[in-house]
Amino acid sequence: MSMGIRVIIDLFLLIGCFFALAGVVGMLRMPDVFCRMQSSTNIATLGLLGILIACFVYSAWKGMEASTMVKLALVGLLVIGTNPVAGHAICKGAYKHGDRPDNPMVCDDYGRDESDED
Amino acid sequence: MIELIVAAVFFIILGLVLLYRVFAGPTLADRLLAADSIDILITIALILYAMYSGRGMFVDIAIVTALFGFVGTVFGARYLEGKL
Amino acid sequence: MSKTRPSAVIATFILCFGFWLLVTLSLSPRDLVLGAVVCLGAALFSARFFIHEESYHMYNPARIFRFLYYFLIVFMGELVKANWDVAKRALSIRVKVNPGIVKVPSELRREYAQALLANSITLTPGTITMDIVEEDEKVFYYVHWIDVSETDREKAGEAIKGRMEKWIRRIWE
Repeated sequence: MSMGIRVIIDLFLLIGCFFALAGVVGMLRMPDVFCRMQSSTNIATLGLLGILIACFVYSAWKGMEASTMVKLALVGLLVIGTNPVAGHAICKGAYKHGDRPDNPMVCDDYGRDESDED
Repeated sequence: MIELIVAAVFFIILGLVLLYRVFAGPTLADRLLAADSIDILITIALILYAMYSGRGMFVDIAIVTALFGFVGTVFGARYLEGKL
Repeated sequence: MSKTRPSAVIATFILCFGFWLLVTLSLSPRDLVLGAVVCLGAALFSARFFIHEESYHMYNPARIFRFLYYFLIVFMGELVKANWDVAKRALSIRVKVNPGIVKVPSELRREYAQALLANSITLTPGTITMDIVEEDEKVFYYVHWIDVSETDREKAGEAIKGRMEKWIRRIWE
């Protein structure tokens, strides 16, 4: 019984570690700011969720206090709720600041509409 | 359980690797983004350490870390946009 | 900025107090009174930023159930698919990206529905919402997409939003 629970916890820990590693490697290798931003979302979504599920199972198994488990769920909700806002703000800020990728993008509706208004 | 602390050390190492992007990132947005990601990695490491040591207090610290990282990132982004 | 309405204050207060109960997890009178005072102050301050439309729209069990179903089943499915796709791109030998910014139309009317769709798009790896504009009664999102396979607006919208827009409309409208 306890062996099975340990295998489940390890599985979720591995999922979290794998996606966090993929996110970090993507952030080091992607060619421009906007693509790096896509990769960083990996860390905050499945990287965090995998670890949180593993910790939730672990704390239920060890019989920790209920407040710890509620706070674990709270961390997940807060990060899932605030991370898109931060990503959206950085993306718009980088574009307004004048950062453009070296290779031209396939299509750039935003830049076209902005230049129409001027 | 030893796996928890191993995973925590793994996440700290990932954060250290990401410091490369903070120092070398060609644009300001790169540095900001890497700092935000390091914040989330540290949050995860704190949660894992809280589970390993059995002290719930570290989860509170993780919540505060995540929230302050968010506030700092949004202020940095406002600066990039030129509205601060 | 709209004025502070009493119903909006009450709705915000209920949400804040629920949050307080979750964090403290105690029912002693001292904690409850302290929490009520703090939550009332926070609600008076923030209600006019927080609620612009119907105040009690989400306090409805059917809507909460639909929201949970959307978040736990529909959204998580999209999330896992997109995560796997971006992780594969990052870890392959040659990084293969094809980025671009497309303009995607949407038919959602309420502010919260638009915000929820924008956040869902941003949270799936591979797409990030950059801006929302309103042009003659229609709402458009500018989305940065890591692999542009369609430049046509309607088809790109189908590919990016998937099942999410239909479910968000069912929750909010």
